[in-house]
Amino acid sequence: MENARRTGLILTAQRAGLIGCSGCGRVHDRPVSHCLRCARPLHARKPNSLQNVWAWLVAGLLAYIPANLYPMLITQNFGKEYQSTIIGGVIELMGHGSYAVALIVFFASVVIPIGKFLAIAYLAISIQSAVVIRGHGRQHLYEVVEFVGRWSMIDVFVVAILAALVQFDFAATINPGIAAVSFALSVAFTMLSAQSFDPKMIWDAYEADDT
Amino acid sequence: MTSAPEPAEMDIVTPGRSGWRNLSFVWLVPILALIVSLGVAWKTYSERGGLIEITFTTAAGVTPGETTIRFREVVIGTVETVGFTDDLTQVVVHARIDQEILPFLDAEAQFWVVTPQVTTRGISGLSTVLSGVYIEAAWDATSTGALTRFTGLETPPLVQAGRAGKRITLRTTPGVGVSEGGPVLYRGLEVGRLEKPRLAEDDKTVVVDAFIEAPHDERLNSASRFWDTSGFSVSFGASGFALNVDSISSLIAGGVAFDNIYEGGNSVEAGYVYDIFYDEAEARASVFAPTLGTAITVSVAFTESISGLTAGAPVQLGGLNVGEVTAIAARIVETADGPEVRLIANLGLDPQKLGLGAEAGADEVFNFLDRQVAEGLRARLGTSGLFSSSLIVELVNLPDQPKLAFNRNEEPFPTVPAVTSDLPDFTSTVEGVLERINRLPVEDTLNQAIRTMASVETLLSNQDLLAMPGEATGLISDARSLMADEDIQALPGELRGAVADLRSVVSELREQGTIDALSASIKKLDDTLANVSTASEDFPKLMQDLRDLAAKANSLEAEQLLASATKVLNSVDGLIGTEEAKKLPPALTGALDEVRLMLSELRDGGVVENVNATMESARKAAGAVETATADLPSVIDRLDSVLARADGLVAAYGARSDFNSETLSMLREVRAAAKMVGQLARTIERNPNSLIMGR
Repeated sequence: MENARRTGLILTAQRAGLIGCSGCGRVHDRPVSHCLRCARPLHARKPNSLQNVWAWLVAGLLAYIPANLYPMLITQNFGKEYQSTIIGGVIELMGHGSYAVALIVFFASVVIPIGKFLAIAYLAISIQSAVVIRGHGRQHLYEVVEFVGRWSMIDVFVVAILAALVQFDFAATINPGIAAVSFALSVAFTMLSAQSFDPKMIWDAYEADDT
Repeated sequence: MTSAPEPAEMDIVTPGRSGWRNLSFVWLVPILALIVSLGVAWKTYSERGGLIEITFTTAAGVTPGETTIRFREVVIGTVETVGFTDDLTQVVVHARIDQEILPFLDAEAQFWVVTPQVTTRGISGLSTVLSGVYIEAAWDATSTGALTRFTGLETPPLVQAGRAGKRITLRTTPGVGVSEGGPVLYRGLEVGRLEKPRLAEDDKTVVVDAFIEAPHDERLNSASRFWDTSGFSVSFGASGFALNVDSISSLIAGGVAFDNIYEGGNSVEAGYVYDIFYDEAEARASVFAPTLGTAITVSVAFTESISGLTAGAPVQLGGLNVGEVTAIAARIVETADGPEVRLIANLGLDPQKLGLGAEAGADEVFNFLDRQVAEGLRARLGTSGLFSSSLIVELVNLPDQPKLAFNRNEEPFPTVPAVTSDLPDFTSTVEGVLERINRLPVEDTLNQAIRTMASVETLLSNQDLLAMPGEATGLISDARSLMADEDIQALPGELRGAVADLRSVVSELREQGTIDALSASIKKLDDTLANVSTASEDFPKLMQDLRDLAAKANSLEAEQLLASATKVLNSVDGLIGTEEAKKLPPALTGALDEVRLMLSELRDGGVVENVNATMESARKAAGAVETATADLPSVIDRLDSVLARADGLVAAYGARSDFNSETLSMLREVRAAAKMVGQLARTIERNPNSLIMGR
């Protein structure tokens, strides 16, 4: 059992009767409903955190579907028009022998977003129900998700830069497809989802495991 | 951790709300995302368009997912798959076409692959060199039931569906250079295009559809005539040389032009059939002319040779073309005398040209022929020109013909009775003319000319001549001009005349001398006889004879003869002394000199001396007689011999006193002399060298 390796009871701020203001960071040990310094409402935990996580996650997932079905890039080259989806682009790059670039695109556009969906979903589920990994692991997972999330925008940046630079009329023109917007939204939604997640709940759940 | 800090008392605000109330507004976002996604999906699906199937023989450059379908250069769809029919004979292209376009894709819709094309009409589809091919579609504005299966065209249609204009049919004989895509010109403007020529159902004519674009199709009416403008025409006449080319495009592609030959034609419907005439002149001449299809066929059986009659030969009625011979064949006809070969000519008669009107059919023509044949209309062979050997068929009215009926129900064609033509007479007349022309001594003249040319050529090409110094050449050219000179050509004649004169002079001189001598001796004799008369009684008679003789001899005009001889000699001298004669080459001059020498010899030498000698001998004889008077018997003996001689002379003279005979002999001599001169002239002609080099 994981829990067997636990060294001892973790004292949380909530259990110690302290509430930190989410705005200015002042810690209150008295029972007040609003911050004495900046007058914000005080919450020991983010309200509706899990709900928001799930909502953003679902929105991100919904946005991710068209991002893969619709073309990401619309390339016009001497009158010929090419439309490439994310996976189509990866396959094409591999066909051209650019395995490294294909790998990067594949990771940035497919592996990371999907991994993020899974990770956030797992964290949300693990808090609400039975614990699968111990608290530190969950904390690490959350940090990785937070860190990696922004890098998913690489794809969107590439599309934005190409679309802005390659406008040579007949010779070559690149325009973003619907998928680019969808993908950007998807990434944004997952980032919001990750942000909605209150990591303090990891430890609440940790304690709950004990009791 | 022995003591945990006391938790502070918290002022806890419990939500105390139901689960639904507690629902975060963030859930709006995924709901919105869902709605948007569904919207996009629905839009995509609804705009996906319908799948159609186009069959091509080849589909060069058509790529799935890339090749677009365009209508008026606007993309309306994309090729999705390219495959084959089950038997691999055709390429099947599946294409997705915009939803709003689909209803218009009816049976009129045309599809073709646009590739770069360079034709006589210009260059098209150049943009596809870089962008790749696309499939162009065309259809008309009305929708008559959407289809999803189409057959693609091999080449772009000349006339795209939906263009305003009129489609007509042109009919032509094989050989007129119409080809697909050729222009249709109206007063030099291109107003339409020819489509693909095809054989008509009867396999005799070539039919080609033409599309005349609006608004030019309004110019088409029943007065329109089409003619071939392919190629160029060259005419050469009094106005000079003219080269006519209608347009380079029609020169290459073969086009037709049309014009309204007369005013006020009736408007025509689409699909109206026109004929293409060989050229504009023929088209304009065809106002009263017929179209190929309206000819009524009758046949004529000829018994004589129809050599020279060909299909297409005109049929004339009173000198006007009313049709043409359409076919010639031989047929065995059963007659009372057994089977007989008849030569059948089928005549295509044009009712319009017979004056029966454009709408007249076979019945009207047969009615017309019925009447005419009863009145003596017959078919007859004729010639189309004076020197032409080709024959035509003439329909002539011969009232004195036996009554014959025109059988309109005869198979295969009703027969117009034929009469034997008067062609052979005509032929013989022509032959007579030709014979006479033939008899003209053209050959001789030509031969003469050739000989002259040849001799001149020989002369000029002669090595000796070429080797001769310039002076000699000059001499020869002089000689040539001299030879060519009329005077010199007349020279032989003159010489001949001179020689003739000489001859006469010589002979007359000869005679003269004799006569002189005779008259002298007779005078002496007379004197002697006067003496002798006393001596003999029988003598006076003889004396009388002698006196007569002397008188006769005296009557000869000796003086005149001498004068004429002198004159002749002078003229000869003058001739020899003339410039032309001087120009004569030395040999000729020598010849003339010889003549002169002969003449001078004649003048100063022999003859006169001979005469003198004769006179002398006569004088001697007289002297002898004189001395003989003394001795009469011997004198009489001598006189006898003299008389015998004189008698012989007189007898001879008397017998040939006819001057004609003398002239004849003289002429003979002259002729001989002339022959000599002629020979000389010929020798000179044959070998001009002899003139210069001597013989």
